[in-house]
Amino acid sequence: MSKTRPDYILLDHTADLGVRIRGTSPADLFENACKTLDYIIFGSVPPAEKPCSRKISLSGNDLADLMVRWLSEILYLFDGEHLVVANADIHTLSTTELKATLTTTPFEPDYHEALREIKAVTYHGIKVTREKGIWTAEVIFDL
Amino acid sequence: MEIRLKKIDNNRWMIPKTGNMRVPGLVFSSPQLIEAVQQDQSLIQVANVATLPGIVKQSLAMPDIHRGYGFPIGGVAAFRMEDGIISPGGVGYDINCGCRLMTTSLKAHDIKPYIKELISALFKNIPVGVGSKGTLHLTPRDEAQVALEGASWVINKGFGQSEDLERTEDHGVIEGADPSVLSERAVKRGLDQLGTLGSGNHFLEVQVVDHVYDSAIADKFNLFEGQVTIFLHTGSRGFGHQICDDFLKQMTGADFLKGLQLPDRQLACAPLKSDVGRRYLSAMACAANYAWANRQILMHLTRETFIRSLSVSPNELDMTLLYDVCHNIAKEEVHRVEGEDILLCVHRKGATRSLPPKHPLLPSIYYHTGQPVLIPGDMGTYSYVLAGTQGAMEQSFGSSCHGAGRTLSRSKAIKMAKGRSIHRELEDKGIFVQSKGKQTLREEIPEAYKDVSQVVEVVHKTGLAKKVARLRPLGVIKG
Repeated sequence: MSKTRPDYILLDHTADLGVRIRGTSPADLFENACKTLDYIIFGSVPPAEKPCSRKISLSGNDLADLMVRWLSEILYLFDGEHLVVANADIHTLSTTELKATLTTTPFEPDYHEALREIKAVTYHGIKVTREKGIWTAEVIFDL
Repeated sequence: MEIRLKKIDNNRWMIPKTGNMRVPGLVFSSPQLIEAVQQDQSLIQVANVATLPGIVKQSLAMPDIHRGYGFPIGGVAAFRMEDGIISPGGVGYDINCGCRLMTTSLKAHDIKPYIKELISALFKNIPVGVGSKGTLHLTPRDEAQVALEGASWVINKGFGQSEDLERTEDHGVIEGADPSVLSERAVKRGLDQLGTLGSGNHFLEVQVVDHVYDSAIADKFNLFEGQVTIFLHTGSRGFGHQICDDFLKQMTGADFLKGLQLPDRQLACAPLKSDVGRRYLSAMACAANYAWANRQILMHLTRETFIRSLSVSPNELDMTLLYDVCHNIAKEEVHRVEGEDILLCVHRKGATRSLPPKHPLLPSIYYHTGQPVLIPGDMGTYSYVLAGTQGAMEQSFGSSCHGAGRTLSRSKAIKMAKGRSIHRELEDKGIFVQSKGKQTLREEIPEAYKDVSQVVEVVHKTGLAKKVARLRPLGVIKG
């Protein structure tokens, strides 16, 4: 996962925050989604000052469900374990299963300046589609 | 999907029953407000809620309606216990997000010379912003007790007085909480967030009573013009978010949903009588009780800060809880349907309970006035105190609106705030603001919200609650 700005745009939503994320493959899309969450919370992908590795394994009903579960996992690590994800490598991705290795770093409020709080990743309007070789996801976050 | 609204009168619009809708929709609004409502997809969400099993009468929208996720914000829907559903998304991630209003004996001119110092002290003493931790770090066993006992647990630890419970919806505890149904993650997220304000639209505001509309009720509420009040808005923090998330994921993909053809995955739900439905209600009660404990601690921290910062005695300050209401909740309540009193599960997603005088659930102090209904505005305008009315029981399952309601998306608000100093603009109006998040003030600019006065006017005119007093901000802290 590179540190450059991921391919995403903000969608209009009155109360919450929606994003449309793009990727060249499902794995690229999911890695971009992780990076997009970092950008929304911190404005960039935070450097891994004290890196730690964590393997995760998720299952879902379909790719859209997996996307919600994937982003919820990253959000939980931040809010529940005070860990910021600095890198995500996806090893396995099918329509119902995802395996990845995350590089995390401890959240330090004075160092990682948060722009906003994300309460949750919603299922509202969730979409994962492929058109002309480009994978796209639309996700709405509850703020 | 195109929604055709049928105007009933100047404050009510019907969404006729079409397609899979089991009941019609009813929107409380005004000619000024309805135009924006028609543009943000929230009416589709009102119609979507009307497709859920067991819904009775109508799928309702309060005048602060705006687009949410699944249910609209400002949505109210009641379901029969026998064949109805419970929807975690219909309660929201921030379970028992709510408001608390405190009165004082101070007058605005007593604190105006010190308002900047007071706001700075509140900002320092009250944990705000992303990742903030409460002063009270809980053990898992403590947290289970908070989940069972709610506000009374923290009062027993010295955060307030037992009289506060009478002035809290449901006395600060919903029955039926069962910590054994909580996930390890929910428990973990709750351990260090009790006594924190949070971020986004959550706030603590120091205000002055700017106008009294109903002096008889205002007297009973101990409100008078020129008086300093404090308004708190927050909820169950990560604890509640995780509970909603856990149960949505359990319900998504369940066999029950396969036959329903849900128009939105966020409407995932379960029969009220099912095992997962009952477990969600037990977990939701845990989060609701946590939220009441959270606001109780924040009130205590506020009281201490006022005493220290203004060098006043507790008696001189006389900071008293007026009321605490929740606006994201599902409750089992008795309501009259087709001439019969029946037990229903009422979902309020961004809607405040509004009980009329002499309702059996009212505490004795408000038995003759009706329940205080607390409606916050945006940080640049007014908040309102109203009193519950019989009209709410007849039209909205005893519900009213919960705020101004957003009208601009956050990205549009940020664009509109570009190049402006929101701090200075508010200071020019005599409102001192301190906020943690860089984007918070820009996303929360006054123009991002509907005119709360127009929203409250609809509530008053339709008899969902009646106006008692208007509150003007003097200072605000935000996450």
